[in-house]
Amino acid sequence: MEDVQVVAMLVRRCIAGDAAAWEEIVHTYNRRIYNICYRFAGSADDAQDLTQEVFIKMYRTLPSYDQSKGALVTWVTTITRNLLVDHFRKTKQDRMTDSIDSTSSEHEEAQPLSEQIPDQSAPPDAHVHSREVSETVHQALAKLSPELREAVILRDLQDMDYKEIAAVLRVPEGTVKSRINRGRAELARLLQRTYRQVM
Amino acid sequence: MPDHTSNGMQCNEFDLLLSDALDGVLSGAELDRFEAHARACKTCGPLMADAGAGRQWLKGLTEVEPPASLVNNILASTTGVDTQRLMARAPVSQPRISWWEQVQASFLEPIWAMVRQPRFAMSFGMAFFALSVGLTMAGVKPADLAQISLRPSAIRRTYYNTQARVVRYYDNVKLVYDVQAAVRGIKRNLNPAEPGRSKQNDHKNDTTQQPEQKQERNYSQTGEQLILASAQLGPSLRDLPVVSVTTYRRFV
Repeated sequence: MEDVQVVAMLVRRCIAGDAAAWEEIVHTYNRRIYNICYRFAGSADDAQDLTQEVFIKMYRTLPSYDQSKGALVTWVTTITRNLLVDHFRKTKQDRMTDSIDSTSSEHEEAQPLSEQIPDQSAPPDAHVHSREVSETVHQALAKLSPELREAVILRDLQDMDYKEIAAVLRVPEGTVKSRINRGRAELARLLQRTYRQVM
Repeated sequence: MPDHTSNGMQCNEFDLLLSDALDGVLSGAELDRFEAHARACKTCGPLMADAGAGRQWLKGLTEVEPPASLVNNILASTTGVDTQRLMARAPVSQPRISWWEQVQASFLEPIWAMVRQPRFAMSFGMAFFALSVGLTMAGVKPADLAQISLRPSAIRRTYYNTQARVVRYYDNVKLVYDVQAAVRGIKRNLNPAEPGRSKQNDHKNDTTQQPEQKQERNYSQTGEQLILASAQLGPSLRDLPVVSVTTYRRFV
């Protein structure tokens, strides 16, 4: 969790024109934003572009951030979510024309951290299996409706609490919980179907 | 989700508690009621199983590493582009900007930036060329512009002179002249006498209530009027046919 005082000071310094403060903000939040974008958009290239867009928007609107209305991480996540919704609307037509069985969206640079660290003890098959499972789950996640997808990403991948998610999505907490439940259940059904077909 | 009650709990309530149950924060009597409902309800039981399985799948997804160039790209696209914003917000003392510099920055510079574009320059050049060619064709000389009088009477006179010149030019075109003559000839052949038309034209000119004799003395006869050649009918001329001559009024 972010220290409120430290973050407030960082924002003030950044607004005052301190480039080092802005750089610190970028270093602090780029991984989080990139991961949200990657899991939502499904593609590493899109995630990179979207992350840049988020920071550009954040840089321009940072003076409008009101600390009393919520934590900076919630504000940043809200900006990210809004841009993802815009991106989803823009690319809707493209997705409709794409084949469902399209090729893997995994980017070379977007490897899970666990796979970038060499593990001598694990056999090579385990790596391959883990990677395949991650890719399958990632693809199944992309098939969820955007409402369910964003809810499960924020809860299960970003570990945000329900109140924060409700603030980001601007829906009641009960709706957030319901969406998370349906998203998880739908994902499990999709994966069961996928593995049943493979078997 | 169907909303029926089972074991003292409705499905909606179950749905709200499902997340907490999977997070492990339910306890006591509430957890008992929740589990009892899950066992009894045919909808909520499978939902809980699927949601739990989905949660496990998602927990297995690890965080991905962003590209190494991402931070540099972000910094380049933010501080690199818009450093002026930061400079403007900095509390350092800045020189006061005069109103003329403000006008230049907000009004003149955007216009000048647009004017400097090759596309605009090309369009402007073409428009200037077309205008100069048009004026040359119309006979306008730069020396004439200095002599232009802007008094209303002079403007009116210029207007009527120009109009008369245009009409004269138009009537003197050989093709127009031939066509007009041909049309009149056809009309005359179709309706040689045209007494009504002639009378109507006479009446049209009679705006001053002048006697008809004066009208006959008018030299500017209309083009439709027939002038009959008259002569002493001598023995040699008696057999000659009557020739009709048509005169055309011209705006010269």
